[in-house]
Amino acid sequence: MNKENKTIPAHSLWSDAWRQLRGNRLAIASLWVIVLYFALALYGEGTYWYYQWRDTTPFYQQTDLAEEYLPPSIFRAPFAGVKNEAGPAQCQCPILRAVKNLCAHPLGTDNLGRDVFQRTVQGARIAFQVGIITSCIAIPIGVILGCLAGYFGGRTDDFVVWLYSTFASIPGLLFILAVAMVAGKGLIGVYLGIGLTTWVGLCRLIRGEVMKHKTRAYVLAARSLGFGPLRIMFRHILPNIFHIVIISFSLRFPAAISTEVFMSFLGIGVQGEPSWGIMISNARLRLWQGVWWEMTFVTLAIFLIVLAFNLLGDALRDALDPRLRTSEK
Amino acid sequence: MGKYILRRILQMIPTVFGVIVITFILFNIVGGSPAMMTLGKNVSQKSLEEFDEQRGFNKPLFFGNWTGTRAFADDYFERNASFWRDNPSVSRESGGNNHGNQAVLSPGKDFLIPLAFSLKPKTRYRWVISYHLAEGSASFRMDNSGDAGGNVRVRNAWPLKSGPKQQKAEIEFSAGENTSGLKFFLQSNKTPLEISAIKLRRATSHFFDSQFVFYLGQIVKFDFGRSNLSNQRVSRMLKDGILPSLLLTVPIFFIGLIVAISISLICACFRDSWLDRTFVIIAIILMSINYLVWIIAGQYFLAYRLGWFPIWGFESWRYLLLPVFIGVISGFGDNLRFYRTIMLDEMYRDYVRTALAKGVSRGGVLFRHVLKNAMIPILTNVIIAIPFLYTGSLLLESFFGIPGLGNMGINAINYSDIDVVRAIVFIGALLYVAANLLTDICYALVDPRVRLG
Repeated sequence: MNKENKTIPAHSLWSDAWRQLRGNRLAIASLWVIVLYFALALYGEGTYWYYQWRDTTPFYQQTDLAEEYLPPSIFRAPFAGVKNEAGPAQCQCPILRAVKNLCAHPLGTDNLGRDVFQRTVQGARIAFQVGIITSCIAIPIGVILGCLAGYFGGRTDDFVVWLYSTFASIPGLLFILAVAMVAGKGLIGVYLGIGLTTWVGLCRLIRGEVMKHKTRAYVLAARSLGFGPLRIMFRHILPNIFHIVIISFSLRFPAAISTEVFMSFLGIGVQGEPSWGIMISNARLRLWQGVWWEMTFVTLAIFLIVLAFNLLGDALRDALDPRLRTSEK
Repeated sequence: MGKYILRRILQMIPTVFGVIVITFILFNIVGGSPAMMTLGKNVSQKSLEEFDEQRGFNKPLFFGNWTGTRAFADDYFERNASFWRDNPSVSRESGGNNHGNQAVLSPGKDFLIPLAFSLKPKTRYRWVISYHLAEGSASFRMDNSGDAGGNVRVRNAWPLKSGPKQQKAEIEFSAGENTSGLKFFLQSNKTPLEISAIKLRRATSHFFDSQFVFYLGQIVKFDFGRSNLSNQRVSRMLKDGILPSLLLTVPIFFIGLIVAISISLICACFRDSWLDRTFVIIAIILMSINYLVWIIAGQYFLAYRLGWFPIWGFESWRYLLLPVFIGVISGFGDNLRFYRTIMLDEMYRDYVRTALAKGVSRGGVLFRHVLKNAMIPILTNVIIAIPFLYTGSLLLESFFGIPGLGNMGINAINYSDIDVVRAIVFIGALLYVAANLLTDICYALVDPRVRLG
């Protein structure tokens, strides 16, 4: 073994960042929370499509007035038995019955006897859909326009800067709501409203970074090898600034979720499906009657996922690009 | 300096134009028929046309001499069931020879072409008929009994000629003073008349009599049309709504600013102590709580359960306390984080070290040196926030029943009241552009490097 051949394993930006992230316990905990939510959302998606395929009303939509306003299971008398399941064929063992009792409607039911837990899971499904799809709309717009503007400069740059300063000058939430109104009520309106209006910040950052990288030696090398501008932009420069996209994704996700909640609450978002916003607007009316559980659990569900994304986004930003901290907002 | 300001003002123009274009695209082009959107589908053509007339939506988009009218909905027999559906003398035929569906009028009878409402007086109109006639001729007759000023001028074919192929006839006429008795008839004398389409077009008053020009005119006059909901002038509504909005947002903004800046100074002063960390954690927790939750919890616990505040309404200053409190606390997390970063940026500059070394007290450094230098980003943030004060807080206003612009905006969006939404969006954008200009001028005043850059 020749000693000089021994190489030190390379430290890429990503492995460095991962090491730093792993050291941050809060960030790892947030990551697990996000993974858990994602799994629940996938389960929700599965049940949704299963019922679509069976062409029946999903159980989270089935109303059962016999079970309305059931409190969360730990607040119920342990042996009372859920009304529907009480019968002679039921298992007589008291412990088993108590366990069964705990598992039925763990978070209680709402005013129509629908299971709060299942509805919250469906809400998570919609929240993830909104987060992912709006990112799929906004991020490509921001990245492509930012790259083009930064790389070509001149007229292209003028046009892109004009476009994003125009978009930036329209009051955010109103703009989103107006786009959604024009696109029509429903999830499509939410996607388009959020997706088409929130690419500006990313575009601005990417444009600045590309401008900086354009003068670097490796771009010059690529250019002198005769590579075309598209190849240089997307194969050479973009990987070097991709961390910005990741950070922006993790920070826009909770914002998109909150906006969706808000829109659904106002009635321009999701129609006829249990989203978090709709659950809040439903639970708000029951709150005055002392039905606190639906409100509490939905609120908690939103809080946890948004907090997890905020913490993870911060940690990611610190790990990947501490400079961005000051240029934010 | 004057030159710089002038340059910045000139740079503003494209952005304002961009805002005009985007609102136009959004509401006039993409939005489909705003009349149908607001009034619903089950209203008469007449009220739809009146709605469009008032808002300039019955014009061509950018330019054009002819435009559609709802008096006679364009009828393509290939696609639509025709208005002659119930007439036994009309047969519908799906012609095999590239003609598609047609309405076939049997010869020797007069067929009335129905209109949804009487036409605009003193306007030129044009019928465009695509037809096929094997033999003989067909007449197009206009019965303008009681209408003095009207006359018919015929283009192309009069009467409709026969021929082996599909033909087009354009019949132009001017409606007179009184259009209520105007009737149109079609009759063929020998063979059936096969019609594949009839259209009625209205002439615009000039080539650029378009929606876009109408919109530009509205903006120049600062007249934003009428709300469909309350039938009030939008400019009037804006004027009425701005005071309650400002009463709510201005206190939220300034209290929030003062609280956030003072706490961020404390954090910067005791950086990395338990105090700083607690505040950072509190900030991130507060940030993660949904705005809706703040409002609902505040209303339920503070107003309803404890009875400290009135729950809903806008009668005295006491009604503003709770919304202001909620506004401040919900924005606190974001603000604190932002200002703390700014302060920390400044804390590690050389001049701070120099001042400390010189023997200036910590408090003195913070308030006299750091705060002054941090003023630039703070100022930017403050000025940029001004346009958002104007739109008010959408949610707070609608929850607490404060009759401001936010409340108005939400109502308008819920009921698709296009004019109101467009006006609020547009003025908000205009204010933002102006605020941007103001920030740049302030920058240039404070920092001479900006002017030359």
